[in-house]
Amino acid sequence: MNRSATALLVALAIAGCSKPAPDPVEQIVVRKPGDPAVTVPTPAARDATAVGKQAFAASCAACHAVTASAPAGVGPTLYGVVGRKAGTLPGFAYSAAMKGSGLTWSGEKIDTFLANPQDLIPGTAMSAGAVTDPATRQAIAAYLTSLRNGG
Amino acid sequence: MNKWTRRGFIGTGVLAGGALVVGVAVRPGNQVGKLRGDVATGEGDQLVNAWVKIGRDNTVTAIVPHCEMGQGVHTSLAQMLADELDADWSKVTAMQAPADGFYVVPDAVREFIATWSLDAPRWIEPTYNGLFTKVSQLGDALVTGGSSSVRATGQHTMRIAGAAARQMLIAAAARKWGVPADEIVTENSMLTHKASGKAGTYGDFAEAASHETMPQLPPLKDVSQFKLMEQGIQRLDIPAKVNGTAKFGIDAAISGQQLKYAAVKAPPVPGAKVETIKADTAKTMPGVLQILNMGDFVAVVADGYWQAQQALNTIEAHYSTTANDGLDDAGLRARYAKALDAAGDKGGKVLAAKGDAAGAFNGAAKKVTAEYQAPFLAHTAMEPMNCTAWVHDGRCEIWTSTQVPLMARSAVAKALGIGAGDVTVNQLYLGGAFGRRLESDYAVQAARIAKATGYPVKLVWSREEDVRQDFYRPADTSRFAAGFDAGGKLVSWNNVFTQLHDPAGAWDASQYDIPNLSIRHAEADMHLRFGSWRSVDHSQQAFFIESFVDELAHAAGQDPFEFRRGLLGKAPRHKVVLEKVAQMAGWGTPPPAGTTRGIALVKAFGTIVGEVVELSMSGGRPRVTKVWCSADAGYVMNPDGFTAQMEGGIVFGLTAALYGGITLKDGAVVQGNFNDYPMVRMNEAPEIAVEFINADTKVLGGAGEPGLPPIAPAVCNAIFAATGQRIRNLPIMGHFA
Amino acid sequence: MIQTKINGQPRQIDIDPATPILWVVRERLGMTGTKFGCGIAQCGACTLHLDGKPIRSCSTPISEADGKAITTIEGLAGPDGALHPLQQAWIDAQVPQCGYCQSGQLMSAAALLRDTPRPSDEQIDAAMSGNICRCGTYGRIRKAIKAAAGIAAAPRAASAEG
Repeated sequence: MNRSATALLVALAIAGCSKPAPDPVEQIVVRKPGDPAVTVPTPAARDATAVGKQAFAASCAACHAVTASAPAGVGPTLYGVVGRKAGTLPGFAYSAAMKGSGLTWSGEKIDTFLANPQDLIPGTAMSAGAVTDPATRQAIAAYLTSLRNGG
Repeated sequence: MNKWTRRGFIGTGVLAGGALVVGVAVRPGNQVGKLRGDVATGEGDQLVNAWVKIGRDNTVTAIVPHCEMGQGVHTSLAQMLADELDADWSKVTAMQAPADGFYVVPDAVREFIATWSLDAPRWIEPTYNGLFTKVSQLGDALVTGGSSSVRATGQHTMRIAGAAARQMLIAAAARKWGVPADEIVTENSMLTHKASGKAGTYGDFAEAASHETMPQLPPLKDVSQFKLMEQGIQRLDIPAKVNGTAKFGIDAAISGQQLKYAAVKAPPVPGAKVETIKADTAKTMPGVLQILNMGDFVAVVADGYWQAQQALNTIEAHYSTTANDGLDDAGLRARYAKALDAAGDKGGKVLAAKGDAAGAFNGAAKKVTAEYQAPFLAHTAMEPMNCTAWVHDGRCEIWTSTQVPLMARSAVAKALGIGAGDVTVNQLYLGGAFGRRLESDYAVQAARIAKATGYPVKLVWSREEDVRQDFYRPADTSRFAAGFDAGGKLVSWNNVFTQLHDPAGAWDASQYDIPNLSIRHAEADMHLRFGSWRSVDHSQQAFFIESFVDELAHAAGQDPFEFRRGLLGKAPRHKVVLEKVAQMAGWGTPPPAGTTRGIALVKAFGTIVGEVVELSMSGGRPRVTKVWCSADAGYVMNPDGFTAQMEGGIVFGLTAALYGGITLKDGAVVQGNFNDYPMVRMNEAPEIAVEFINADTKVLGGAGEPGLPPIAPAVCNAIFAATGQRIRNLPIMGHFA
Repeated sequence: MIQTKINGQPRQIDIDPATPILWVVRERLGMTGTKFGCGIAQCGACTLHLDGKPIRSCSTPISEADGKAITTIEGLAGPDGALHPLQQAWIDAQVPQCGYCQSGQLMSAAALLRDTPRPSDEQIDAAMSGNICRCGTYGRIRKAIKAAAGIAAAPRAASAEG
C-alpha cells in the first residue's frame, strides 16, 4: 500500500511550497459552551411542519430522501408519499409485506405506522422507526404531508 | 536519488531505573516511507525506527514503529526481536513508537525523550558516547516493496536490535563474572555460565550492558535456531479487542478537557468550493455551538457528534462549478477509450517489451482479444475517518488512527502554519485502514476546525462522507490481444491499460513464457482522488490478467490449470504454488455436484499466491462456497497471523469482486453507505483453507495484500466454468441483478 | 429524564430523548467499546443488548431504553471479571484483526447463544449477518461461536493455521 519513493518526493516537494490553509470563509457562533442551550420551543409552540422537518432530519433522513429526483437510500424517497399507494414507487425494492399492504399513505397512517411499523405492516423491512412521542410523530406526518406540493 | 543515501546506526541509552535501550537507526529512502516520509528534513538527520527496552524487572518492551491495524504487526515484530534476544516471551510486551521526534543523533533522541509522556518512564541522562555506529549495509537491505513490516522492519531492523542487545548483555555478564563471553548461554531472558555456576537475569545486566560496545552487525539466527519465529504466537492486542477496552482513534479522550464534536461535509464533486451556506434550521438545533464554511468543506461543531451531524444534514450548501460537473461513468469510460484508441497496438508508455507482440499477433493462426473494466472502489474501513485535535499555545496535538503519523504531523503543521515540532501526533489503534489512512485529509480538517473554534474537537465522518470523500482505487480499462501459432503455442501477449500507480510491475505477465510481449500504459485522467487500496494496482491487474489467461486456456482447448502450468517453465516457484493449490482443491477430480472451480495465480508484494474457488449458481446468482489458497512468501514468521492475512485479503477481495462499485453521476460519487455499497457478510463468507510454502528463508514476501489479487479472477473463472459467461467488468453482481 | 440500567447499574440520564443510545453510551457515559460504523443499522458495529435483545444502538433513541436494561461489551464478562465463554473462544481462535467490529460481533453472538445454545450454521448466518467485518474474520467467528457452544468443528479442508 505504499506510494513509490518518487511519488513521495513529488508529494513532499509540493507540500513544501504550500501555504497554510485559509481561515474560515464564514464562522457562525451560535453559542458558547456554558451558555444556556439555544431554547428550542416545545413542539406545540411551533409550526408543526418546521418541527417535523427537524425531527425528520434526526430520525429519518439517514435512510429517506425527500426530493423527487433523489436516488433511493435504504428507504425510498418520501417526496409525495402522502396519497401514494404503499409499496409502489418505481425502482425501489419493497418488502413483500409493504407491497401487499394495500394501504394508501395519509398523515394519519404515517402516524400509526411510525408508532410501531411492525404493528401496522407485519414483515416490513423498516427496522428503524418506532417514534414513541405522539407530538413528534404528528409533526413528522405534517412535514411529509407538506412535501406533496414540493415543500 | 543520491540525496537519499542511506546510513544506519545502532544506538543505546540508559533509562531511569537502569533499563537498557537499543535502537537501530537507518536513513529513509525506502518505501516504508509511508511511516516516516517526512524525515528528509536535512542531511545528517537520522531516524530511529526500532527499539528494544529491557527493564531491571526483566521485562522486555519492543517499541514498534508500525501501526496496528489488524495485521498483528505489534506481535510479529516483537516476536522477531524477542527471538534474537532469547527473551522470555511471557515477559515481552509491545508498544507503539511515538510519532514525535524520531530524528536521532543526539539532539533528536533528546526530542524523543522530551516528548515522551503518558505512562512511560522518564529518562534521566541518556548516554550516547560513541554508541552510534555506521552499518550502511542495512539501509540498502531495507529497500523492498509494500506489505513491508515483517519483511523489512522485522527482518532487518527488529531482529538486529534484538541480537545486538543480546550480545551486549553477554558482554556485560562476561566482564562481571570474568568468564569468556562465548561460554555464556542465553535463554528465557537469563544469562548462565555453566562452568562457574553463575546466572543472572537480563534485568540484572541491563544497565551494565548499556556501557558495552554495540556490535556493528550482530549475527542473526539461522532458521534451525528459531524459537519464537515461525510460531503461531497469540496476538498481544487481542485480549483488549474482546472486552471493549482497546482504544481506537475514534475513542480518543483528552484528560481534563471536555471535547466538542464536529461533523463535516465536503463538496460532492472534487475540486469544488463551498460558496455559500444556508444554516437557518441548523442554528436552532440543540447542542450546536458553531457552523463553519471552511471553503473546502462545511463543519458543524456541537456538544455531541450526533447533534452536529443532524444539524449538518439540514444545511444547504451552494458549491462552485467544476469542469467535471457533468461527468458520469459513460463519460469517464469514453475518456479512457479515447486514450486506448490513441495508443493502438504499439503506442503509449512501454512498460515491458519482448520480441514483436503486434507483429506476432498479426501473423497468428488464432487470435483472442478482450477489453476488461474495473470500477472505482472505496475503502470503507469499519472505523470511519476521525481525528481529535486541540490547538493551544501555538501548538497542536492530535489523536487519531493513521498509517502515516509523521506525514500527518507535517500536513497539520503546514495547514496551521506552525512547525512540525509544534505538532504532537498520538496514535491509537486503527479500525481498519486498507490504504485509506495513508492520507491525512481528516487530520488536517480536525486541526483547522480546532484552530478556528479554539475547542478541543473530535471530528467524526459520517459513513456517507467516508464513501464519498475517499481516495479511490481507480476505475481502469485494459485491452488485450493475444495470438497462438498454428501449433497452438501462445506466441503473443499485447496489453494496454489506463491506470498506472503502484507497485511497479503489477501489470507483469512475464512469469508466463510467451516469446512476444508488449505491455503499455495509455494515460487517461480521472477526477476522483487516487488512493492506495489494499494491493493497489494488483487489485485490478490480477482480475484483468488472470481472467484473460483463462480465456486463452479455453481458446486453446486446455484445462486452465494445465494451461498455466505449461507456461511456467521459467518460473519454478510460481509452478510449485500453482500445483500446491490445485492439489489442495482436488483439481482434476470432478467438483461436487452443482459446483464449478476457478483458478488464479498472482505474485504481489514478494509473495506468490494461488487460489482455487468452488462456486455454485444458486437461484441464478453465484455463491462462493470454498476457497483454497497456497502461498510462497519466502518464509512465514507467524503462521497463524499469515493465515489470517490471507483469509482477510480473500474476503476483502471477494467483497470487491461481487459487489464493489463506486459510480459517478453529475461528477459526484453516487453510493453513500452499506445499503448501496454492500459487503460480503457471514452468510456469504466462504470456507477458506490456507497453506504456505517456505521456499526462501532470507527474502521474505508480504502478507497483508497478496491474498487479495487472485480472488476476483478465480471467482470469474469459476463463473465461466458454470455458465459460459465471461465477466469482463466488475462488480460480478451487476451481471446477476 | 431517562431511567435505565447500564451493565447492571441504575442510571438517570438527562438528555434529548431522540439521541441514539450509541452516542449516549459513548459520549455521555464514556463507554467507548460500542462502535459507530454506519449510522443506519446496516453494519452492526453498534450492537448492544436492550433487555437482552440485540439492537443497533445507532438507530435506537435513548427514549426506547427508558425503564429497560442496556448491556454493552463492557458488561459482557461476569461481575467478577471472568470472561464470557465467547470472549475466551474469540481469543483462542484469534478472531479479531483490527478489532473494531468485534464488540458488535460478540454482542450479536452472545444473544444468539443465549436463545440458541447449539446453533446450526444457518442460525449462525441468520444471527450474524447483520454484522460487517471488513478484515474478513467471518470464518474464525463461526469457529469461535461453535467452540463456545461446545459444538465440535465440522471436518474442514486442511488448514495450516496453528
